[in-house]
Amino acid sequence: MAEIDSSGGGKKGGKKRSKKMSTKIDMTPMVDLGFLLITFFMLTTTLAKPVTMQLNMPDKTEDNTQTSPVKMSETVTVVPDEFKVYYYQGIPSESATVLQVTDYSETGIRKVIADMKAKIGNNFTIVMKPTKKAKYRNVIDMIDECAITNNKRYALLEIDPDTEALIKRSGK
Amino acid sequence: MPKVKAKRTSVSLDMTAMCDVAFLLLTFFMLTAKFRPEEAVTITPPSSISETALKAKDGIITLSVAKEGGVYLATDDMMAREFMLERMANKYGIALTAEMKKNYMSSEVVGFPAGAMRQVLNLKPSEAKSKGFLKGIPIDSSNNELSYWVGYAKLSNPSLKIAIKGDQNSDYKVFSDIIGTLQAQNINIFQLITSPEKRPQ
Repeated sequence: MAEIDSSGGGKKGGKKRSKKMSTKIDMTPMVDLGFLLITFFMLTTTLAKPVTMQLNMPDKTEDNTQTSPVKMSETVTVVPDEFKVYYYQGIPSESATVLQVTDYSETGIRKVIADMKAKIGNNFTIVMKPTKKAKYRNVIDMIDECAITNNKRYALLEIDPDTEALIKRSGK
Repeated sequence: MPKVKAKRTSVSLDMTAMCDVAFLLLTFFMLTAKFRPEEAVTITPPSSISETALKAKDGIITLSVAKEGGVYLATDDMMAREFMLERMANKYGIALTAEMKKNYMSSEVVGFPAGAMRQVLNLKPSEAKSKGFLKGIPIDSSNNELSYWVGYAKLSNPSLKIAIKGDQNSDYKVFSDIIGTLQAQNINIFQLITSPEKRPQ
């Protein structure tokens, strides 16, 4: 080790003996640090993992002759708004169409969809027409509701003036 | 009778093996770790029950929608990124300097109107961000620059997938404008990035 030899040179017969150092060092702090870093990297790699859901939109350039028609009686139109969901069956411009309103809770739209599906059967189709006030979250929630209730038949459309007029007329 | 002496054991144990394992794991996690890419704005995506992880094998374009409605584009395909810049600069008649290119490549996110390109790219990405120049890519019907950016990226690498990461409180209008823009280019499959949520029941 770095030591200054202060013994002077005059002594005779003194055999120089290097001090025997232990080869063992305390590795505890090093291991501590190692495990701290492992923990850090493990947490940062697994926590920031986003998930995705795939959204397929119809091909606009293709002609529609290949697609199967959907009966009006088998569809329900849901109109997500910022805090509530409107839904109706049928054609929005007809006066007989009844607009109903519910919320995003478990007993709200999820129950409505489940009930409708039980009533209509396998060809049940959901048409979504978000309002202009709707937030992105509302649309994702709605698509998610379809996934929760195991509905693979849904379409995302732009809102049409008839539906807007229906909402206005109902005053809800 | 001789006393039974308890054998005195040493308290220090050999930690070399443990240390080896610890550092092996550390090296592994450090090498595999992928840090969250920097974002021009903070985005909180809505949650969904989906469990599909984002696959980015062939490269991906991530379109982020900020709460205020700004649209930002990022891609992990370096070739496509460079190609996009060259084509955009060419289209808008902007002469690119080496420094502008360097600043562009050092940031992952594109989020400025083409008109501000010279101004933004002459600054370092962090500076441009702090000065508030990253306002997003215009997607109005009169000036739809997003369609050019995506179009050029697709030209460079046609297998690029589109992921959309919207803030939960952003307007649906912006999202539908993006979808409309991309559908006009015959892109019909979108990956919507969400945060995970537990499936009810």
